[in-house]
Amino acid sequence: MGDIMEMLASALRMTIPVLITALGAIFSERSGVTNIGLEGMMMTGAFWGAYGALHYGPVGGFLLAIAMGMLVALIHAVVTVTYRVDQIVSGVAINILAYGLARFFSIALFGMATTSPSVEGLPKIDIPVLKNISVLKPIATDISPIIILGILLVFVTYWVLEKTVFGLRLKAVGENPLAADTLGVKVIPYRYIGVIISGAFAGLAGAYLSIEHTHMYVEGMTQGKGFIALAAMIFGNWMPYGSFWASFLFGFAEAISMRVVQSKVVPYQFIKMIPYVLTLLVLAGVVRKAQPPASVGIPYSREGD
Amino acid sequence: MEKVLELKGITKRFPGLVANDNISFDALRGEVHALVGENGAGKSTLMKIITGLYQPDEGEMFLKGEKVKINGPRDAIAKGIGMVHQHFMLINRFNVVQNIILGYENSPGGVIDFDKAKKKVEELCELYDFKLDLNAQVGDLSVGHQQRVEILKVLYRGAEILILDEPTAVLTPQEVKELFVNLRKLKQEGKTILFISHKLDEVLEISDRITVLRRGKVIGTVKASETSKKQLAEMMVGRPVLFRLEKPIVKTGDVILEVRNLKVKGSIDRHQLNNLSLSIRAGEIYGIAGVEGNGQRELVEAIMGLLPYDGGEILIKGKSNKGLDTRAIRETGVGYIPEDRHQRGLVLPMTVWENMVLGLERKPEYSRWWKLFRDKIKSLTSKKVEEFDIRLGSIELAIRNLSGGNQQKVILARELSYEPDLIIAAQPVRGLDIGAIEFVHKKLIEARNNGKAVLLISADLEEVLSLSDRVGIMYNGEIVKEFVPGELELEEIGQYMLGAHKEVGVG
Amino acid sequence: MNKRFKIILLQLLTPIVAILFAVVLSSVLIVAIGKSPIEVYQTMIEFSLGRADSVGAILFNATPLIFSGLAVALSFKVGLFNIGVEGQYFIGAFFAAFVGFTFTGLPAFIHLPLAILAAMVGGVLWAFVPIYLKVRRGVHEVISTIMLNYIAYSLIHYLIADLFMDRNQKVPEGLGSPLIRTPHFAESALMPKLHGFLSFFGIDLPNYVYLNWFFVIGLLLAVGMYYLLWHTPFGYEIRAVGSNPKASEAAGISPNKIYFKGFLLSGAIAGLIGLSHLLSFYGYMDLDFPKNFGFNGIAVALMGNNNPFGIVLAALLFGFLNRGAEGVQTFMGVPMETIVIMQGIIILSVVVAANILGRYVKRLEKKEA
Repeated sequence: MGDIMEMLASALRMTIPVLITALGAIFSERSGVTNIGLEGMMMTGAFWGAYGALHYGPVGGFLLAIAMGMLVALIHAVVTVTYRVDQIVSGVAINILAYGLARFFSIALFGMATTSPSVEGLPKIDIPVLKNISVLKPIATDISPIIILGILLVFVTYWVLEKTVFGLRLKAVGENPLAADTLGVKVIPYRYIGVIISGAFAGLAGAYLSIEHTHMYVEGMTQGKGFIALAAMIFGNWMPYGSFWASFLFGFAEAISMRVVQSKVVPYQFIKMIPYVLTLLVLAGVVRKAQPPASVGIPYSREGD
Repeated sequence: MEKVLELKGITKRFPGLVANDNISFDALRGEVHALVGENGAGKSTLMKIITGLYQPDEGEMFLKGEKVKINGPRDAIAKGIGMVHQHFMLINRFNVVQNIILGYENSPGGVIDFDKAKKKVEELCELYDFKLDLNAQVGDLSVGHQQRVEILKVLYRGAEILILDEPTAVLTPQEVKELFVNLRKLKQEGKTILFISHKLDEVLEISDRITVLRRGKVIGTVKASETSKKQLAEMMVGRPVLFRLEKPIVKTGDVILEVRNLKVKGSIDRHQLNNLSLSIRAGEIYGIAGVEGNGQRELVEAIMGLLPYDGGEILIKGKSNKGLDTRAIRETGVGYIPEDRHQRGLVLPMTVWENMVLGLERKPEYSRWWKLFRDKIKSLTSKKVEEFDIRLGSIELAIRNLSGGNQQKVILARELSYEPDLIIAAQPVRGLDIGAIEFVHKKLIEARNNGKAVLLISADLEEVLSLSDRVGIMYNGEIVKEFVPGELELEEIGQYMLGAHKEVGVG
Repeated sequence: MNKRFKIILLQLLTPIVAILFAVVLSSVLIVAIGKSPIEVYQTMIEFSLGRADSVGAILFNATPLIFSGLAVALSFKVGLFNIGVEGQYFIGAFFAAFVGFTFTGLPAFIHLPLAILAAMVGGVLWAFVPIYLKVRRGVHEVISTIMLNYIAYSLIHYLIADLFMDRNQKVPEGLGSPLIRTPHFAESALMPKLHGFLSFFGIDLPNYVYLNWFFVIGLLLAVGMYYLLWHTPFGYEIRAVGSNPKASEAAGISPNKIYFKGFLLSGAIAGLIGLSHLLSFYGYMDLDFPKNFGFNGIAVALMGNNNPFGIVLAALLFGFLNRGAEGVQTFMGVPMETIVIMQGIIILSVVVAANILGRYVKRLEKKEA
């Protein structure tokens, strides 16, 4: 039992960065903008998180990472929403750019291309009540506050999307921008905000990796997690709760893959493929029908050109 | 009764065109006021002026006696003018309440009280006798119910004046009846309704007064109780309707197209076809009359191999088209003028000469597998440009730069270039100017005179009646009546189009 | 006619403006780390263009980018977005590697073409999945190819590290464990260098430059693709479907067939991307086999406006940037990454500029008509 709980705790740690990024992606996609630059935004967050943590402490690191993630997302928004450039192209460019910037600043600021000095994380916390139940100990004690935050964000995202004016309008813009526009809902600002939120979330998730998970920045530490987050969001059918379960599944797969590296029963490379294969199956309708927002990926302009 | 809306001397000019010329009319509280006119008569420009999308060049507008300037749709709705678009502006994934409150959530603090909103919508439904499942996703609703959502949207925003743009175009007769019940109720409650249509029967049935537009001018405003369809039709077109084009008598030949008991199952984006049968001989134009969306598109696509059918057969020159792809069907001698030029007819970014051989590029005259005979295609194009009087700067230009009429001529030139025996012309003159319309009609009649079979589909009854040798009226996926123009009165045709009459076993 | 000329001029200007914009932004970074941009760019140009070995290296750098630019552009032309070029070239490279280390004793004129063919087959196979899913199940090709790229990475990792790892390596004593790589390829599978050919013209390249005949194949492929697109009925159909599948369908060109053929052809070209490195510089496949050629191909295709000749130029430019980056890193201590950043900025500014220009050109054309 203790072993299983350990495993769950480890899965939860792997889940969080994917989950937070996936939640951010929901805002962007539901507003109608595909964001495959998430990987780059996470990378940016990981780097600046470490830099910020080094100089201003972990909280400063997170704030800096969020700000930088938003900045990169802003580029994506300007290019895709204002200039209506293909969203995939922009996303690819953002990833290249973010990779280059992270390396560049790593050399300029840390003197090393690929790693930062080690940094202090946030103080670990225990969850009251739960920590006293002995089985739950591994997942209720000594955990990063960001894990709690990530789980809270699931509920917050749901609430914002389903209960608020902002959420209703954001979704409307992603489903039928022309209809929204005729009802006086301004399409452009909502798409900007959707994209920028996704950048903030990805930045936060990236910083979690460097500040909380490994306590340092390592080049390539996002390891495609931005794309896995995209996969989780699709698997979760563009919904917060669905994305949570998908992220958890993927996190669990990763936790397993780390365990079986030694065991050799199944090559761990195959376990690493699970998120991607599952997503393909979902998209192919083998698992169930995917329902993306109706206007995602299509730039909007009144003249319609 | 109180004049709720009044327009005085509204004029709107566009380059080379006066869309609205000194238009004046008024609408009263509790009145259904119809605006009728042909396509291009200026109805939609006028609507855009009333809802503030355009500003008039001259003239004044009054609301309840007060002079106003409308600065856009939002301003219009704030002043009590609500527009119900012909193409619904709905979000399919949202439920009814979400659709209605979107953009008008009235939620201090940004949190929506859905229960309160729903209650308010329920009250509206009760007041105006609207039956609607408020929890349903709008995408799952029937078209008639979706229209109710559109109407509720403007009512929710407190509209006093409702503008309905061609509201019956997409409805079944039953739904039209229900709509009219709703409209009468709205009228009773003191709303004013501007009803835009070119369907005279409906206009006469629902309106109190009717204003007729022609070429941007008001021809007159009449009381519905004091006019007739004939009078309205003459006002609309400016001459007695049903004039005939010059058509020599041609001896018809073999059956070229034979459709027998064609069946297509319906779905969300496709109308069903029900045992549809018709046949067309060489030297004959067969026109399909009917309200749009009764299966015309499906019939055409089934003939062209673009839509698989579930039963029956389609014989082209005696051979079934089952299992043939579109290219093979065209090669049996079928020319196809699609209903939507830009979507289906042309590749807009490609050059004029490239569009001239679209789908024909594999013909031995134009290519071998390793080489496209560009020079040959270009000289052919130049020849066609002259023959069809296509006005353009250069055949190397992207075809999107040509006017609609010239684009349609390119399609016509292409489709007639290989001497097809059967021509499928779907809405061939939609959106064209008078000169281009005449040209297209001339070419179709010419083809018929030369012994081709032509299937003409048009939403314009007048066009169908004047061009066709025989007409089939299509209703709900079936040909409900076949006749020779002149055999039936307009009224009767209209009744068949609306499904009031049904004959069994035609075709 | 004057306007036509203006349009062409503007189209040429777009990438130049984008490059200038990138140069300016990069200068800001260079200034930020306390170097002089002018000196940096000067060093870059002198180092890259002033020496025969640099020119050779530029062409060698450009070779995979020509292939990947062409692969991406072909998919663009057919109206699809093949982000899977990345995964396809990885699989293609492994197929070639497999042929390279499995067969021995074949004559070179069989072995090498066989390896090339295998690479194309690999690329086609990996392109088949997304296009099948697209045509039959309506799965957007971008998302499926992203997933397949990662599956390819893991799969290749497994194949190299587990299944086909060279276990007969002689590890010098005390130098740790064997390298994780496939066995060496037979000599007969390697592509000859261009050195001999170039020496005819009095150009002598040093041995550490690996410029080989794949560069020439890339150029020929560009010419072939230009011919295909604009002078064959198949190319015509590709462009028609790419611009308006519905109209093409109504005219009798089956979009699904064209999607299939076009995408698989794109995959076949993608399979070749890694070969210039694999079958000359490496001679085996290991875990460090260069990634990202596929993604950079998107940049090259956009930069070259999807025109095969434009793509060659864009690939050469990127080859030059990479070579120049090595120079400024070595001689001036400016991190090479400045150039990666520059590439990212170039893509973004090219697409934005192209968008603005596109609208302007439409207006101009309208007037001409």
